[in-house]
Amino acid sequence: MAVLTIPFIAAAQSDSTPATPLVTGRPLRAVTQTVILNVAVNRADAWVFGQDWAYSGTRTWGRNLRVGWEWDEDQFGTNLMMHPYHGGLYFNAARSNGLSFWEAAPVAFLGSWTWEYFGEKDRPSLNDFFMTSFGGIALGEMFHRLGATIRDNGAPHRTLREIAAFPLDPMGWVNRPRGRNATLANPPEHAPGALSLRLHGGARFVVDSRLHMSSGTPTLIVDFGYGDQFLQPYRAPFDAFRLRAVLGDRGLNALRASGRLYGPRTRRQHLFLVNQRFDYVNNAAYRVGGQSIEGGLESHWPLPSGWQLRTEAYLDAILMGGVDATTAGFGKRNYDFGPGGGARFRMEFGRRGWTYFAFSAEGDYIHAVSGATADHFLGYGGFEVTLPLGTSIGLGIHNTTFLRRSVNSDRPDEIRRFPELRIFLTWTQVTWPRSGVPQATATAP
Amino acid sequence: MAALGGAAGHGHGAMTTTLRRISTALALLAGLLAPHAQGQRPHRAGLWIETGGGVGYVRIASSGSTTVTSAPGSVSYLRFGVLLSDKVLLGVENFGFVDDMLGFFRGDTSSVAETWSFTVVVLWYPWRSSGLFAKAGVGASQGTLTVTPPGGGSPVTATGTGVGLTFGLGYDRKISRKLALTGCLCADIAGIGDVVLPTTRIDDMIASIYHVTIGLTIR
Repeated sequence: MAVLTIPFIAAAQSDSTPATPLVTGRPLRAVTQTVILNVAVNRADAWVFGQDWAYSGTRTWGRNLRVGWEWDEDQFGTNLMMHPYHGGLYFNAARSNGLSFWEAAPVAFLGSWTWEYFGEKDRPSLNDFFMTSFGGIALGEMFHRLGATIRDNGAPHRTLREIAAFPLDPMGWVNRPRGRNATLANPPEHAPGALSLRLHGGARFVVDSRLHMSSGTPTLIVDFGYGDQFLQPYRAPFDAFRLRAVLGDRGLNALRASGRLYGPRTRRQHLFLVNQRFDYVNNAAYRVGGQSIEGGLESHWPLPSGWQLRTEAYLDAILMGGVDATTAGFGKRNYDFGPGGGARFRMEFGRRGWTYFAFSAEGDYIHAVSGATADHFLGYGGFEVTLPLGTSIGLGIHNTTFLRRSVNSDRPDEIRRFPELRIFLTWTQVTWPRSGVPQATATAP
Repeated sequence: MAALGGAAGHGHGAMTTTLRRISTALALLAGLLAPHAQGQRPHRAGLWIETGGGVGYVRIASSGSTTVTSAPGSVSYLRFGVLLSDKVLLGVENFGFVDDMLGFFRGDTSSVAETWSFTVVVLWYPWRSSGLFAKAGVGASQGTLTVTPPGGGSPVTATGTGVGLTFGLGYDRKISRKLALTGCLCADIAGIGDVVLPTTRIDDMIASIYHVTIGLTIR
């Protein structure tokens, strides 16, 4: 809890934040660190963990260059979470060496490509390339900003902050100014102005419609909002993002995030935004995830007595998604990969930083290009009600349903429904810009 | 879980012709690059459009097999877009590859392979005074294989739709205030899923197309 509240302390101490990055661009150093990172990870996997796939060499390099891409059979968590995290390290090697978001993006692609061709004995995997590159950019930028927010060069107890930020942004730790170069100033990402943190701790009950079984597990949900689309006009990619992490019986059960890639440079009531999304859901009932780009309209409607209504309507293109199904998969893998598209709508109703009621509905389509010969139609929706019991404590009830219909070309269709109920105690902390009025809540998608 | 039947076999003459085409295209590209940038403003302004063609080489791989089918062919493209900044352009690209002599076993040239992709691309000019650029993009792709069954009969067509990636390096060579010749050394990757043919089934097909193109840009 203490670690998670550090960003708010950091944000409150924003006087030392300069307008320009602390480090000027060092692209050669970023690329060198990317290569070193790949070599280090490969050698650690080979020598420390004894992984057979890590024993690559000139013969496998030649074979990989000659034969080219395939789809791999790795586990869902490896492909849709660990690879994006790995990609985030490449991306942050560039970001922490002073490169901008767009300048750092090619470094993520480079790191991913070189790893696929030279870091593994197996053939280069197209799904890994998508997840590591696009997922790495999304996770990397969010973790870069989170790390910068947690770290505070001018504050006491820097060690604790470094330890808290390290798992998110280790490359930021490697490249941060030290010794004679050390400074008390913070990078511009340190204090985004608006920050919101909401922790929901309680129980979660899921029902599987086919197996007629339900399960209840203790669950912690973390909703984090960095920046605010309405309070702060667009300045740079991911200067406003929202993230929801669900921790439960499988450790990290879900991580869903959406960051602003582009938006208006002026404050408006209705905003056309382009976001990059990262989705990873891996719980006992179902698994779905992927990398996507969405474009749509967000509106903010002031109501009497300080009440606020906020709506979002988006269309999205799924660059590469993964979804499990009974008939899905290939070889050892039991889920499909494919591109697709979809739409989502969300409505929030709240006041003074509290979201009293939220409704969301989302529909997606994934056309499998690896695994079953199938098309997957996904639906996700429900409502969340929160009742404040004090200034920062509340009681929350979430009721959501995940639906999946898999249309197979050579097998019967499959329809599954997973209703879910969550009952929580909620703790909320919100920080707004000093010059701004708290006009909108910031809840995760 | 079937895979590709085997390496393609093409006549020696066809291969020589293709290699000659590639050499000619590379020579033309080298010619474009040879006269160093003459301080001209290299890239495009406002709305730009580019079209061209060239030669390419496709490698078709599938899950569960280390065997690839490869063949030369011809490519064409149309690309247009706008400026995001002095160094970065955003556009969309329609790319096509056709090979009418694909085969799945030695000596077989009876199949036709086509891939089309529609991608959103970013062109990045690292140096303002040079026409050299890097290209990357992502989008949708479609692959079509037309196969004549063994022993004759009507050709059978199988199509797969999926995801497309494009990468490459290119160069703009100004030829007038509004026109430029553009050369590109690029790769297009199309992941188009399962393709079922009368003679074989290709699981999780991925077509990688490496190509050299020359185009005309209205900038």
